[in-house]
Amino acid sequence: MFKWLPFVPVQGLFVLLLLPNALLLVYLSLLSWRITRGAWWAAPLTWLDSFGVALGDERFLWALARTFAFAAVAVPLELGLGFGLALLCREPFRGRRAYGTIFIVPMMIVPAVVGYDLSMLLIDQGPFNQVLSLLAGRPVTVRWLSDYTAAKLAVIGADVWQWTSLMFLIFLSGLSGLPQDPIRAARVMGASRWQVFRYVELPLLKPIIAIALVLRSMEALKIFDYPMLLTQGGPGNSTETIAIYLWRMGWEFARVSHAAAMSLILLVVVALYTFIAIRVLHRERRRLVEGSV
Amino acid sequence: MSRRHAFAGFRHGVLLVWAAVTLLPIYWMLITSFKHSGEWVTWPPRWVPHEPTLVNYVKVLSSGTSTFELGRQTLTVLTPLWNSLYVASASSLLALLLGGALAYSWARFGTGGSRYPYNILSIRMVPPIVIAVPFVVYYVTLRLLDTYTGLILVYVATSLPYVVWMMLAFIDEVPLELERAARVMGASRFRVLGSIVLPLTASGLVVTFLFVFILNWSELLLAVTLTNTEVSTIPITLNKFQSANEGRDYGPQAAIGTIATLPVVVLGFLIQKHLVKGFSFGMIRK
Repeated sequence: MFKWLPFVPVQGLFVLLLLPNALLLVYLSLLSWRITRGAWWAAPLTWLDSFGVALGDERFLWALARTFAFAAVAVPLELGLGFGLALLCREPFRGRRAYGTIFIVPMMIVPAVVGYDLSMLLIDQGPFNQVLSLLAGRPVTVRWLSDYTAAKLAVIGADVWQWTSLMFLIFLSGLSGLPQDPIRAARVMGASRWQVFRYVELPLLKPIIAIALVLRSMEALKIFDYPMLLTQGGPGNSTETIAIYLWRMGWEFARVSHAAAMSLILLVVVALYTFIAIRVLHRERRRLVEGSV
Repeated sequence: MSRRHAFAGFRHGVLLVWAAVTLLPIYWMLITSFKHSGEWVTWPPRWVPHEPTLVNYVKVLSSGTSTFELGRQTLTVLTPLWNSLYVASASSLLALLLGGALAYSWARFGTGGSRYPYNILSIRMVPPIVIAVPFVVYYVTLRLLDTYTGLILVYVATSLPYVVWMMLAFIDEVPLELERAARVMGASRFRVLGSIVLPLTASGLVVTFLFVFILNWSELLLAVTLTNTEVSTIPITLNKFQSANEGRDYGPQAAIGTIATLPVVVLGFLIQKHLVKGFSFGMIRK
């Protein structure tokens, strides 16, 4: 009884919420339906037409590529910064607690708040350009929200600012939980600090690096709030991520069937990525449990 | 200078830079919320308001609904604040209950097979935008669109994967021998749960609750899709007034941002000690 008591409601929730949606998504993608044109069950079937439209839509393909590109820049930065900061904060020193307290604040702020907060900081004659001018010693006037390249950097910067904090916390957790025996043994045998880190600690940390990478990248691919609040996908389409484009497709342009077809294509791409990510996680955790690390 | 001192200096340098980067946006939001409208956008930007004021807070905390007429915004936040609080607390508690129980039963009885937690995690990987479109159609049919129940159910489902994975790590630390001993001495399964498992995972439950509460408190995409006017949450309110290009009300927006941030950060500080231990996701062998 205890085995199945929690299983039934959880599985029930997933089945009731997700299964009809999956079927509906497939069905909608086979129709030719816009919200503005009557009931969906009365819409004509056009089979794979929407998929043809989707694959021929350059804006869609660019949004998809842009989303992966953003994640490919932001996630390694967040992991690297978080890991570095955690390494610097692992041993006790004066001020460690204060730094730790400050560093974990960003992850507790609503991403929408971060988005619009940065939109205040980044205005053309705003405090951020002022600080840059001070550091550079000459006037800096980057148009962070209306320049094609700078706007991309602003969106990535927002993601890095907010989520480095979670990476820091995960790695600090990992470092503080490391088993001490192998480290001590290596020190006794005369290993240098660097050797201990490279050949003892890093392998022990591999599973936690894996889960941080998987969790962070899967969230980064959903990026929606920052570009929505900072630039509304602009200027032009330069910060339009896949989530923003599909949202517009469905609700602004009311092309629901096309949005459904594009969603399915996105789902296939993400499923591929998920398959690999889960395999990596499974392997790391099995090694951990079996103790072959 | 010795190598030791050089390292300490280097460490403080790096950490100070990142602390400044972290604090700049937070500081700017805080002071903007205390500025009169004349000081919101100036050159050079004003780092300390000449006459600090509470007028922005009074404005956004007054009763009434948010309106946007003739390019002028009136932002009030009491209703969305309540909505967010209700939806985020209810969904996080439910997710914690279900996910915690599931993590325990998987760790002890292998519920759902050895790959079950991975299957659950893969649900979190589905981008919300993918299900947003059919979800609206589905919810209209069920009459769940723009209701508390509708939004809460979705949030339970999307935060469950995190609950399961975080709780697995804490349950791993409960000594199995202790539970076995209690069983041998005749304690019921409920007794074992109540007297051994719950107390030993209490800090884990709090940390997990805080994390999924933040997620649900912050969620924008699904909220903006699945609600209309009845269940408008804080992120929706901010988004709605951000997309208006004219007449931006920086001060009141900063006040809302501060109000939306404060409760979570205070909670975070209170449990900071546990936070630092609670984010290993079962990926460190003790």
